[in-house]
Amino acid sequence: MDQAKTAEQLRLCAACPKMCRHMCPTFLAWRSDSPTPHSRSLLVYQEMNGTRNLDERAIEVLYQCLECSQCLVWCLPQVDVAAIVEDTRTRLVEQQRYPQGLDKISSMIATNHNPFGELHSKRSKWFTPAKNVGKKIVYFSGCTAAYRENGIAQSTASLLTKLGYGVSIMNDEWCCGSPLFRTGFRNQGLEEARHNADVLNKQDAQEIVVTCPGCYRALSRDYPENGVQLARPVIHISQLLERHLDELKTADFGGLVTFHDPCHLGRHCGIYDPPRRVLNKISGGKVVEMQRNRENAMCCGNGAGMRMLFEEQARVIGKARVQQARNVGAAYLVTSCPFCKNMLASQDAEGLTVLDLPEIVMASYHLHPKVKM
Amino acid sequence: MLDSKTKSVLLERIRTVVGSDHVTVNETDAILNAHDANPLSEAKIRAGESLPLADLIVFPASTEEVSKVLKLANELRVPVVPVGGGAGTCGGTLPVYGGIQLDLKRMDKVILIDNQSMLVQVQAGVVGIDLEEEVNRQGYTTGHTPTSLRASNVGGFIATRSGGSMSSLYGKIEDLTLGLEVVLADGSVIRCKAVPRHSVGPDLKQLFIGSEGTLCVITEATLRLFPLPKERRFRSMSFPDVHSGLEAIRLIFREGVLPSVVRLYDPEDTALHVSSHFDVEEGSCMLMLAFDGRAEKVAVEESIAAEICLKNGAKDYGEGPSRYWWEHRYDMYYPTKFATSGYSVGDTIDIVATYDKLENVYHEMKKAMEAHDAVVMSHFSHMYPNGGSIYMIFFVSKEDASSAWSAYKGIWDDGVAACLRMGGTMSHQHGVGTTRSTYTEAEWGSGFQVLRQIKEVLDPNGIMNPGKLGMGGRS
Repeated sequence: MDQAKTAEQLRLCAACPKMCRHMCPTFLAWRSDSPTPHSRSLLVYQEMNGTRNLDERAIEVLYQCLECSQCLVWCLPQVDVAAIVEDTRTRLVEQQRYPQGLDKISSMIATNHNPFGELHSKRSKWFTPAKNVGKKIVYFSGCTAAYRENGIAQSTASLLTKLGYGVSIMNDEWCCGSPLFRTGFRNQGLEEARHNADVLNKQDAQEIVVTCPGCYRALSRDYPENGVQLARPVIHISQLLERHLDELKTADFGGLVTFHDPCHLGRHCGIYDPPRRVLNKISGGKVVEMQRNRENAMCCGNGAGMRMLFEEQARVIGKARVQQARNVGAAYLVTSCPFCKNMLASQDAEGLTVLDLPEIVMASYHLHPKVKM
Repeated sequence: MLDSKTKSVLLERIRTVVGSDHVTVNETDAILNAHDANPLSEAKIRAGESLPLADLIVFPASTEEVSKVLKLANELRVPVVPVGGGAGTCGGTLPVYGGIQLDLKRMDKVILIDNQSMLVQVQAGVVGIDLEEEVNRQGYTTGHTPTSLRASNVGGFIATRSGGSMSSLYGKIEDLTLGLEVVLADGSVIRCKAVPRHSVGPDLKQLFIGSEGTLCVITEATLRLFPLPKERRFRSMSFPDVHSGLEAIRLIFREGVLPSVVRLYDPEDTALHVSSHFDVEEGSCMLMLAFDGRAEKVAVEESIAAEICLKNGAKDYGEGPSRYWWEHRYDMYYPTKFATSGYSVGDTIDIVATYDKLENVYHEMKKAMEAHDAVVMSHFSHMYPNGGSIYMIFFVSKEDASSAWSAYKGIWDDGVAACLRMGGTMSHQHGVGTTRSTYTEAEWGSGFQVLRQIKEVLDPNGIMNPGKLGMGGRS
């Protein structure tokens, strides 16, 4: 965003009587006027016009943001607070003025190429190559599926094989860079990006498929916006499965299914229908919408560094989202994001089965033993 | 501002009440919490000016915590400014004398929906839209839908005697509030029982409704509910002038018809807000009506209203302009590039008067306000059988801050003076806050001494929102 446009957006947001605040997940978590879109803009506005510099608390407030872009949906003048926050974070990182809690994630990615501090050599342990001669596709698993949500990675590989693809994974996959881009470590994120692009561009595959919307946004948006080009199209698993609707099985899951839209997939990349079509097919139409869905879907609380820096409040948001699924009588809360799944499943989800899209699709075939039904 | 010793003692003691996580003395938080939606505050922020800041911001979770905080503040003579959604337009939550901002946002529970009596019991910190959506899910509406609904909360509604866009049918918040819980300056909790009517002396809750934090902190309320209307129909009529439009409105009410929405736009407001979407004649005034209820009832009401309008010289525009307004009713609350550029400031003086005075108030206020080179446009809304409100909207832009703020004050001074001179009352729903504080005594006349004496009894140390409602100025 150019400086004049940013200045105008900040002025408008700083003058607004908080028309989006009621939808902001961090307002829900803190119930204070500080961690809200209006306040974030006001702080940056005051810094920009020389009224007041960002102090330690102001910086903290700017990191009390999920960058979920829910506020943008409710903003008539279309002030992109998430973009403003991310640009400001990038500047703060350049100035070494970010919350020190982020050093951990930054250093772990630098050392191990994942934000969990797991050994890089174990990244592909979940993968068992299958012999298949179909269309060659490379699966970029992302860190969460590789280290924390193996069920998603394994379901995805099995599913792709079942659908006739010749599945490979990257020879040396690094973090997609999303956690770094979102928290202001743009340059470090681009180092990861360049490596991934180099390897992917040499890989023998026609398409790159991802299950993590954070990876999807990074590979399909952040990389090209920052001059990192991928030679093959990037596709989200929900889009790929939509192509194969006729081949998917319909199963009786014994209860209603609801879909949680991940912010990066929905609001940031505009993908709302494919996962719904898939769920509708495999459940035989037993899909129910939460009150907040599609562009108004509430963030799970696990974005843009929130869970790392403010875990208690992130969990308040995740718990509220789980309750929203309960409110509509769902037996299955399905998302299409390992990060969201991890957060939602770790809340008090008793009586509600939380699954990722490839997991529930595999469950419909009753093939994958790791899916707990 | 508090001296450092008092502040330190107060902070430590308040921490024991609400916990360390729910009180802050941080300057950044104070800045972010300082302003409500007062246009002058917003313009000053845009201009890089500073607003008065609270010494502490406290976030209580219960009535008990509110009570304990007030006891401490009263003991130490510290000002307390209750904060609701912070969506008021009059600076009511501005901590003019520092002290404590008591922010009620954590008190956000819808406690009970009583289907039998059609009531909802709710904590003060529930945001309006959250309450409305919650009762909508149960088949009800609160009937209270101000333009600020997404930002304002229940406590703020009651503290300012607010009114929604459908108050002609459902009433204002003082009509909708059946029960009330408040905490006085000494920490005592007062509960006014929820009953439809009573004859046990004066209605105490009406003393607290509209008190803007100067007499008490509102912690809980029991509000009326209405079944969601089975149908809402819209109708629009264009009149050659304000007079004929107002006459039609008066006659519609006289026939016993209570539309949910009644909004008559003067020629300037019609030109700005209607003509860009509909083909209207220059100088005409658009009347927007809505009718709520069962289909048969709504059809009859619409028919009667339309007949009256046509007899009074109206041209029928069907549902178009009225429906368009309804579907975009929150849009006007968003800032625009034009209204936020340079040293610009706009505001609304929302006055109310009976029909015999309404038109004269309008003309005299318009003349007085335009004398300051302000753009003035108006609509008559929130209409009732005996009169209604005028939104006197103005906008002024100057080359420098001091000229702009001075023009703003001049418009307010002369606009309100004209209103009072012609027999109007200076606010219908926005309240007093800091903007109207200096006019309060003139508005109330001899009755103001009664209000002042009540204040002295209930808040002898003058800690409750000093500087608002014309009371409690401190040196």
